[in-house]
Order: sequence, then C-alpha cells, then structure tokens
Amino acid sequence: MEIKVKILRFNPETDKRPHYQTFRVEAEPTDRVLDLLEKIKGYQDGSLAFRRSCAHGICGSDAMRINGMNRLACKTLVKDLSKGTITVEPLLGLSLIKDLIVDMDPFFEHYESVMPYLVNDEPPPLKERLQSPEERERFDDTTKCILCAACTTSCPSFWSNGRYVGPAAIVNAHRFIFDSRDRAGAERLRILSDQFGVYRCHTIFNCTLACPREIQITKAIGEIKRAIATGSLD
Amino acid sequence: MRNRTVPQPAMSFEYIMWMFTRISGLALLFLGAVSLVMAFVMGARELLDMPTLARWTFFPNPNHVVNSKIPDVTQGWANAYWQIMQIVIAFFGISHGLNGLRVIIEDYIGNTIWQPMLRGLIFLVWLFFTIMAVFVILAS
Ligand code: FES
Repeated sequence: MEIKVKILRFNPETDKRPHYQTFRVEAEPTDRVLDLLEKIKGYQDGSLAFRRSCAHGICGSDAMRINGMNRLACKTLVKDLSKGTITVEPLLGLSLIKDLIVDMDPFFEHYESVMPYLVNDEPPPLKERLQSPEERERFDDTTKCILCAACTTSCPSFWSNGRYVGPAAIVNAHRFIFDSRDRAGAERLRILSDQFGVYRCHTIFNCTLACPREIQITKAIGEIKRAIATGSLD
Repeated sequence: MRNRTVPQPAMSFEYIMWMFTRISGLALLFLGAVSLVMAFVMGARELLDMPTLARWTFFPNPNHVVNSKIPDVTQGWANAYWQIMQIVIAFFGISHGLNGLRVIIEDYIGNTIWQPMLRGLIFLVWLFFTIMAVFVILAS
C-alpha cells in the first residue's frame, strides 16, 4: 500500500524556519516508521537527516514525534498508526539541528548531574559486592532506560523550563539510589531536592506514556519524593 | 530486604512548600468537614438551605448564615471558636493558592532575575490577604 509520510524538515543552511514536506512511499503494514524514513532517504531525498543506529529499540537514537506522540521510529509499526498520513516531527524542548535531529547536549548534562554511576568507596570484598534477588528487583524497572529522551521531551515542565533535570535523569538517579551497593543516595537526593529537581514534576504522566521501555517513570519520581521525605530507601 | 536509610537532605524551600501543599490541602478538606458536621449538630438540617450550608462549610462566617432561619446567630454560630476556624481556613487557603501560583510561575521563569522579584511580589500579596482576612474576620 502507498503511504503518505509528512515530515517536518529544517535545513539550517537555507531555511529560516521548519516546514512540512510530504513523501509517498510504498509500505507493508508490518514496516516500521524507521523503514519508511530509510526508504525516503535511500530513494527519494538523500538529504533527509535523522539518527538511528541499532534499529532494534535498544540504542535510543531514533526517538521522534510520530503522529504527535514521542516514539522510537524503529519500534513503531505502520499498522499500529491510524490510516492515512503519518506525521513525523523532531522531539520538542531541545533545539533543532537539522530535520529530525535535535541537540541532545542539555539532556545529557542533566543526566550527568545526578551522578548516574555506582559510588562505593568501601574496600571491595574478595569476589564481588553481593546483592540478593530482592535487592536487585528493587530498582529493576529503572535499569531499562535507554536514554532516548522520549520522556524528558514529552514533559511540559521541561518544555517550559529546560533547567528542570527531567524524568530521564530522575529515572537514572533512581536506578542508583535504590541500589543496595551504592553509597551516594543521600547526595543524589540532595541534588534532586533542589529547585530544578523532583519538585518540578507535577505528575502529568506524559513521560510514563512516552517511554518505549514502559518504565513506570512517574512512580519512580514519586518514590524519590518519598525517599526525600522519609530518608528510607525501601 | 534490610532497611536501608539515608540521612535526609537538608530541608529545601521546595521540599517544605511541597509538603505544605499536601498538608494544607488535606487540612482544608478536614476543616470543611468539621464546619459541616458542626453545622448539622447545631441544627442546619432545619435552619439552613443548601447554598448557605455550602458557604458556611468552606468559610464558617456568621455573615453567611445571618439571613437564614437561625433565630440568633450569636447563639453558637458567631464566637471565638469560629473566628479561629476562619483564620486557620483563610491562612491555609491563601497560602495554598498563592504557593500554587508561585510554583506555576517558577515552572516557567526558572531562576532569572524575575524569580526573586515575583517571589517577593507573591509574598507581599500573601501578607496583604492574610492581614486583611484576619482583620475582616475579627471585625465581622
Ligand atoms: S535505532 Fe536504536 S533505538 Fe531505534
């Protein structure tokens, strides 16, 4: 079947502002939106710019707005979208570089600000730092993050103020705060109780809907708010 | 699972106001319920119509019930207890509402030069309304 793909294009060298361009492509219902973009780039317009790497929903490169929702192009099938035109736009809230490519630097700066790595200065045991299955389970959900930025760029708090650390950074803080081997929980909670930390979250739930990994993001943010209020990491 | 705890971060302004929003919201509902129940105890079923009762519930001011079938509002409906109730409700209501406004504003402006200025302005508005409310309640 033939499908219309309407893409928001922007070439910083020639365009003053972004504009839509519609392409017609031959597609199977089981094609992914990423396949359509590849077809357009390969056969119709080689100047179309977008990021992709794994094409299997694990590298987090190709988050974009598909029919108004933040999605991974490589995980979105044509048959799951409403019939007619498919609209593809870059993520909101980050500045546009070219076509579907946005500047991810602010996103990763927020990510780094919550110390997304294991901190433990205690001398390591002979073999490894042991952890029970239950202790591992505690933060399992937030280990699934692929840093695609779909959540952060769906968040109205982040749209209105780019200094908010955003759901993705909070998810990655959660992953270490609730890890029994980590020792920097208090420091991360201090960072997140700041003016642009968790209290800019107004439980809008856009992030939870946007996450291609189905992480319960708003719940994770709520657990951090509770940890700040009680000091308990259970 | 063993109980892991961390020293809590020092209370930040955002944390305190976040807590206050929850506590004041619950307190307003609770105080409304108290006024409602007390009104029924004092015979609201016979004496008040629905709109009057609703006004009394969320602000137990004798002026709200003076035009009802209550023979004499000074008997139970207007006294120091209800004045204190009104002051507490006014305090929580004004603070809860203006803090909400502050949060919305700061969502947008972040910490530019406008932030301390608008925060100061909201504080002055808060002070004004609180003093006015206490004055009106005690004078009425
Ligand atoms: S291309 Fe890697 S997540 Fe889509």
